[in-house]
Amino acid sequence: MKDRYDHENIYWIPILIIFVFLLPLILKGISFSYKYYLFVLNLAGIYIILNVGLDLLSGFTGLVSLGHAAFLAVGAYTSAIMVDQLGVPFSLSLILSPVIVGLFGFIIGFPALRISGMYLGLTTMGFGFIVKRIIISFRDWTQGSAGLEVSSPVLFGYTIKSDLDNYYLIYTFVIVAIIIGRRIATSKIGRSFMAIRDSEQAAEASGINLSQYKMLAFFISGLFAGFAGVLFAHTSSFISTDHFDILLSIYFIIMVLVGGASSIYGAVLGSLFIVLLDNLFVPLIEDQIQLLFNTQAGDIQSLIFGLIMFLFIIFQPMGLYGMWLKMRIYWKLFPFNPRQRFT
Amino acid sequence: MPDLIIDNLTMRFSGLVALDEVSFSVKNNEIFSLIGPNGSGKTTLFNCINGFNKPQNGKIYFNGDNLLGKKAHRIIHSGISRTFQNVQNIPFMTILDNILLGANSRIDALDTLKRCVSRDQRKTEESMALEIMDFLGMANYEQKFMMGQPFAIQKLAEIARALVSKPKLILLDEPAAGMNDQETREIANIIRDIRDELGVTVLLVEHDMNLVMSISDRICVLESGKILALGKPNVVKDDPKVIESYLGEPLDA
Ligand SMILES: Nc1ncnc2c1ncn2[C@@H]1O[C@H](COP(=O)(O)OP(=O)(O)OP(=O)(O)O)[C@@H](O)[C@H]1O
Ligand SMILES: [Mg+2]
Repeated sequence: MKDRYDHENIYWIPILIIFVFLLPLILKGISFSYKYYLFVLNLAGIYIILNVGLDLLSGFTGLVSLGHAAFLAVGAYTSAIMVDQLGVPFSLSLILSPVIVGLFGFIIGFPALRISGMYLGLTTMGFGFIVKRIIISFRDWTQGSAGLEVSSPVLFGYTIKSDLDNYYLIYTFVIVAIIIGRRIATSKIGRSFMAIRDSEQAAEASGINLSQYKMLAFFISGLFAGFAGVLFAHTSSFISTDHFDILLSIYFIIMVLVGGASSIYGAVLGSLFIVLLDNLFVPLIEDQIQLLFNTQAGDIQSLIFGLIMFLFIIFQPMGLYGMWLKMRIYWKLFPFNPRQRFT
Repeated sequence: MPDLIIDNLTMRFSGLVALDEVSFSVKNNEIFSLIGPNGSGKTTLFNCINGFNKPQNGKIYFNGDNLLGKKAHRIIHSGISRTFQNVQNIPFMTILDNILLGANSRIDALDTLKRCVSRDQRKTEESMALEIMDFLGMANYEQKFMMGQPFAIQKLAEIARALVSKPKLILLDEPAAGMNDQETREIANIIRDIRDELGVTVLLVEHDMNLVMSISDRICVLESGKILALGKPNVVKDDPKVIESYLGEPLDA
């Protein structure tokens, strides 16, 4: 039997990986704001890891979570407390903290067995408020609303301090997260997740235990978010509840949607797009408004994000990744049938 | 030795009695059809076998297994799979992946782990689906997305999904609905092949009388949840009660 993956294009993957590792050097060569770009890319990398997990939960399985900033917070605080106050090595925390957040996801997953759609969104959002409250209350461990200093990551006796070191640490795990995410998505698990989203009847008749798989989706999503949380805490050296606002949860969903829900590459593209937009483009616009009207621009960020989400949902529901796929098919067929349906 | 035994089954939805003390049995390797007017309880019977509906009364046995004690997602492990009257597919997945969904019961956790590290497992899984696609004559559709496919292909893919689990009994809920004559003839051949070549017992719900009469070994006519007639096609076809309440006028031979 022929192997349909023999002609799948994978030659670009090593090229892309090399590019990711050379990018800081390129940036250093061409720009004075190199340090700022690195900071932005690091943030994007952390969000990519989280959004791969969010996509598996909300994009693939259709269980909308508006609580992922809280998942990130639990990961970040758990690791900060474990490493700095309990003396757990960073490398161990890198494994333990995600598992703890995964179990947290498990608990949040229970309501998902009974409710779905908007109500699940609201429930997970409520979870976000509770987490914030708990962090503020447990002053002894978390310093309450003052925020918490976090030590730098130490791996194999080497302390990772500079933005460049952080970049390589984060993007190593970004690549791992993407590979694992892809493997999950294309396996029996990914198929089952999508079946639950689109037809619970077909799923159940095919032998899928709905409750089990919904819980699994929350657990896996928690693992990714926990991982992102650990990296966030130790590479940014300071965390506070302000970093994990409810608005961030909404931005995560926007990233997944804009990238193209239910594709792992979509989650990656969406995270990069929104983070770069937010940190490079939005400040420019704010400056322009300042210059033109001589007033402070109010909340221009939300306005832009809202608009982008609106446009994508109406004109490009398959997201950035869907756009890319369409383009690729267009070029492949080019002279013959450019109007052929994407499907 | 009967394969599937439906014994005194009663299913009520609040006031409405959808199945009223229904009893019959389906023999191994039989093509057994259920017919009857709209709302007579055919799909409800499928849902009872399949674990979606929990009947208030009665029993269902399959090869000695009591099915009513089982959750819906365990039924496929007893060797029963089904298709749906209103096609239930996953639009944003390829046809191949849609079909592979049905192979879930043949892939365990260890296989899934193996798939992460080796390509062989992936090939093994795919060959399960490709084998059945070949059988149904739709092998060239594997990489296409389900979304936007012609209705006939969607229905065929659903049958493939039900077959890939290697069932002993398949429940087909109106496989020829919405198909033209040519496609209906193909469906008839496919149903025969499912029984003859794969050795799968077929329980069929269908409104197309020519199809039902030509391929069924036995036919059961339901009306308002009760059995009106049961027997060989030529006996059922000439039954005055069936003619009056369902067929309307005698069918040509
Ligand atoms: N989940 C449910 N809740 C309430 N009533 C139901 C439910 N499922 C089926 N019924 C009712 O049970 C009766 C039998 O329905 P069923 O779907 O089994 O009919 P059918 O024989 O499959 O008809 P058709 O040929 O139209 O598919 C109908 O009156 C229907 O309204
Ligand atoms: Mg029906």
